[in-house]
Amino acid sequence: MNLFTSSMLLTLLILIVPVMASNFNIYTKNSYPNYVKTMVSYAFMTSLIPTIIFIQSGQDMVISNWHWMTIQTMKLTLSFKLDYFSMIFMPVALFVTWSIMEFSLWYMHSDPNINRFFKYLLMFLITMMILVTANNLFQLFIGWEGVGIMSFMLIGWWFGRADANTAALQAILYNRIGDVGLLMAMAWFLFNLNTWELQQIFLLNPTNTNLPLAGLLLAATGKSAQFGLHPWLPSAMEGPTPVSALLHSSTMVVAGIFLLIRFYPLTENNKTIQTTMLCLGAVTTLFTAICALTQNDIKKIVAFSTSSQLGLMMVTVGINQPHLAFLHICTHAFFKAMLFMCSGSIIHSLSDEQDIRKMGGLYKTLPFTTTALIAGSLALTGTPFLTGFYSKDLIIESINTSYTNAWALMLTLIATSLTAVYSTRIIYFALMGQPRFPTFILINENNPLLINPIKRLLVGSIFAGFLISNNITPMTIPQMTMPTHLKMTAIAVTLLGFIVALELNLATQNLKFKSPSNSTKFSTLLGYFPTTMHRLQPFLNLLASQKVASMVLDLTWLENILPKSISTFQMNTSMMISTQKGQIKLYFLSFLITLALTLLALKFV
Amino acid sequence: MALIYMNMTLAFTVSLLGLLMYRSHLMSSLLCLEGMMLSLFVTMAITILNSHLILASMIPIIMLVFAACEAALGLSLLVMVSNTYGVDHVQNLNLLQC
Repeated sequence: MNLFTSSMLLTLLILIVPVMASNFNIYTKNSYPNYVKTMVSYAFMTSLIPTIIFIQSGQDMVISNWHWMTIQTMKLTLSFKLDYFSMIFMPVALFVTWSIMEFSLWYMHSDPNINRFFKYLLMFLITMMILVTANNLFQLFIGWEGVGIMSFMLIGWWFGRADANTAALQAILYNRIGDVGLLMAMAWFLFNLNTWELQQIFLLNPTNTNLPLAGLLLAATGKSAQFGLHPWLPSAMEGPTPVSALLHSSTMVVAGIFLLIRFYPLTENNKTIQTTMLCLGAVTTLFTAICALTQNDIKKIVAFSTSSQLGLMMVTVGINQPHLAFLHICTHAFFKAMLFMCSGSIIHSLSDEQDIRKMGGLYKTLPFTTTALIAGSLALTGTPFLTGFYSKDLIIESINTSYTNAWALMLTLIATSLTAVYSTRIIYFALMGQPRFPTFILINENNPLLINPIKRLLVGSIFAGFLISNNITPMTIPQMTMPTHLKMTAIAVTLLGFIVALELNLATQNLKFKSPSNSTKFSTLLGYFPTTMHRLQPFLNLLASQKVASMVLDLTWLENILPKSISTFQMNTSMMISTQKGQIKLYFLSFLITLALTLLALKFV
Repeated sequence: MALIYMNMTLAFTVSLLGLLMYRSHLMSSLLCLEGMMLSLFVTMAITILNSHLILASMIPIIMLVFAACEAALGLSLLVMVSNTYGVDHVQNLNLLQC
């Protein structure tokens, strides 16, 4: 048991050392990125030790080492919760980060600030680890804000580009709206349960948890890009591809779902919140899948795919299966990071061409990337016995056999088939057919820094689902029996999606380009959501407040109510009833003479 | 009767005459109003001090307050006239408009 604690803390220490070392001379050498990558790989290996101990013994652990302060009756400590979720997520996240760092050694090779890039990636990883292992909400909030800040710094990496700055600001703003929900939940827990420690919250088991769970749901909507707060995720593709692979596919965006999974003892008693999560997740997954159908930027298609999978995770939490959602988080990290890395390989090889309409015929020129892309897409759609199958198929089976909202189920199934459609679209446009890019580009993927990480994640995408689901301790009973037609649903809709997409692509290959129909416009412009919400809403708000400030406050209340109304009233009435002619001196003199005559008369009578 | 009462009565009468008989400036009428107030104040103060009627000492102070208010009113009317015409000649006030 001693090895559990010490190797856990050793892992975190190994991650912190390169950030500390950035104050010294090693930060200026060009061996620093390789040093960071090596440290992350060592951290991955040391983090396997506590995971294996946990799997073997099945015992959770809480490390609580530093008592920070006590505010009246509430005690704030530095405590790490090493339970099922954090112990399994840590090796997965570290493995994916290791691969991405090795990939970005190739991708960002010509960047002069590559040391800073690696430092930012490492700081992001540290804050994500803080978030995942937090035992109290305060530490979780520190990690939460940390990942938000590092996301901002990394999306705006190429800050000379106005679009990148806008996208980074958009990410911060949308995350902030979610943070309000998290703060509300923290405040509720502080006031009603007098604690921010997860153990005490679950022990006290409060009855009316609508308000804090709604706050946590809002936080998850912001961080995990559910419908309503989703536009920042496709805009975040302005950042470099390693950033998209790490943050916006496997680690940061699952933080919101992770928060909801952490609080499963509270959500399993609250039917209202479960229904809300179900409907929100279903709408998200379908809407973003529709938007992914007509995008032309390969990174945006993968971003919408991430958003759709996040909606699926939310649906899973909504049917009260947090452990399945967590399994999907872990398996999704593998193939989604690999999909991003493959798109990065394609983009770099075509000298920064991101439009799939200008790719094609890469099947022969980039064989390894092609293999990885196809394997990743198959894993994403849930092909039997690849990685995605072990989580996604279980989710579809659970939602088919649970007593739930049939509308949400229908949306999820449609989105599953659309997953196959847009994956086919990527493969068809990027890999098959005749090349549509200029011919003078040298395409070479034969670099070990590129091949090895994709190879690792490829092996992960194929085998990790099997390995993870066979080795973890079973926390819930999976659905064992169901009718054949329900079991075949996921496979059937996926196959349907593949076949329809392939047929459509082949049939319309050589047709003349028609101007887009209304539904195409809806899908390409992301459902008109950014257009209305980003332009119309602020304009209406500013116009209304300007009218209030100038017309209502200034003109009416300050000027017209008392001063001007009194003066106009007096003038009008006096002019109406007066018969004077303004001969003031005459009036005064007559007054004086009357007064003098009266005095004289009184004196002599 | 002490001589001071006659003095103040004379001052009051002279100011009254100045208030009611003036040539062109409205300002001179306001100044004479202040003069009247001053003479009344001194009369009241001397009476109270002479007869040791300390309880009535508040009357001169209240009169001062009211005189200040009426002076302010008169000055604001003067300012209104001056805004329209530039000078406060009283022969301008024949139009009954603002």
